[in-house]
Amino acid sequence: MAIGHYVTDLAPGDVLGPVEFVLSPFVVREYCHAVELHQEYFQGSHDQIVPPTLVHLQKLRLYQHACPAGTGPTARVHVEYDATYHEAIRAGEKLRAVGKITDRYSKRERDYVHLEIELRAAADGRLLIAYRDTVILAYSKKDAA
Amino acid sequence: MTGSQRIAAPPLHVGMELRSAARQMTRERMRRYVDAQPTVAADDGRIHTQEPTIHDDDAFARSQGLPGIIADGMISTNWILGLLLDVFGRDAAEKGRLRTKYVKPIYEDQTIVSCARVESIHKEKEEETIFRLEVWCETDSGIKVTVGEAVVHSTDR
Repeated sequence: MAIGHYVTDLAPGDVLGPVEFVLSPFVVREYCHAVELHQEYFQGSHDQIVPPTLVHLQKLRLYQHACPAGTGPTARVHVEYDATYHEAIRAGEKLRAVGKITDRYSKRERDYVHLEIELRAAADGRLLIAYRDTVILAYSKKDAA
Repeated sequence: MTGSQRIAAPPLHVGMELRSAARQMTRERMRRYVDAQPTVAADDGRIHTQEPTIHDDDAFARSQGLPGIIADGMISTNWILGLLLDVFGRDAAEKGRLRTKYVKPIYEDQTIVSCARVESIHKEKEEETIFRLEVWCETDSGIKVTVGEAVVHSTDR
């Protein structure tokens, strides 16, 4: 178990969270500005919804909660995003995220880690998004193309 | 296209290819996503920045074995989502799936086009049609840098 240490130490079976939080209308708009999603249902103040891709940043929230020592000695490289979303998330809705490290393996001297996150409505536990994230945790100089 | 409504387009059919306008992956676009991360985490109404990353600091990127800064993969994922939103409206953000894999790095100032090809169309219910699409981002040379698939539950509304 690597909970409480570095992100680079995470191991299969580690559970991150749960954490409860709200994505405010402000951060939804800022995120959408950053990735050029200018649709009014993300940018407006009426019936504003959250882009499903914002689930990815809940990984960082879970990392910060579970690994307060920080990233570790090497930068992470994101390899794959895989999200299944079940219904719209409203800005300002209270959410609960929990993550689990489901796999860690080496391929061509790089360490790959799979993290599965469930994002649920805090009020009643409804599953909103199931997300699988794949990263390389150690991308060293010898790996460079 | 980034409007709030679906684009005016002929009915989709299997094999149909959809393409966004070309965009350059500028340093500013990379930096905006870097800063979005601590801004979302803090959620205090202010913009935050973070320590150097491989997405906004050339020296740090080189220290990690890269030739220079590379774009965060989530930018291309969101650009693909934007294409789907242009076609399907907010349905593409409400129910479905998006999987993207970053098969090549995107370097500063590379020109990127988001693409989708309709793989299947299935009428699930009276008021809902399920579209399965191959999705990808490619350079102006046609080299795929991000690949994946999407499922969109499109409602008749």
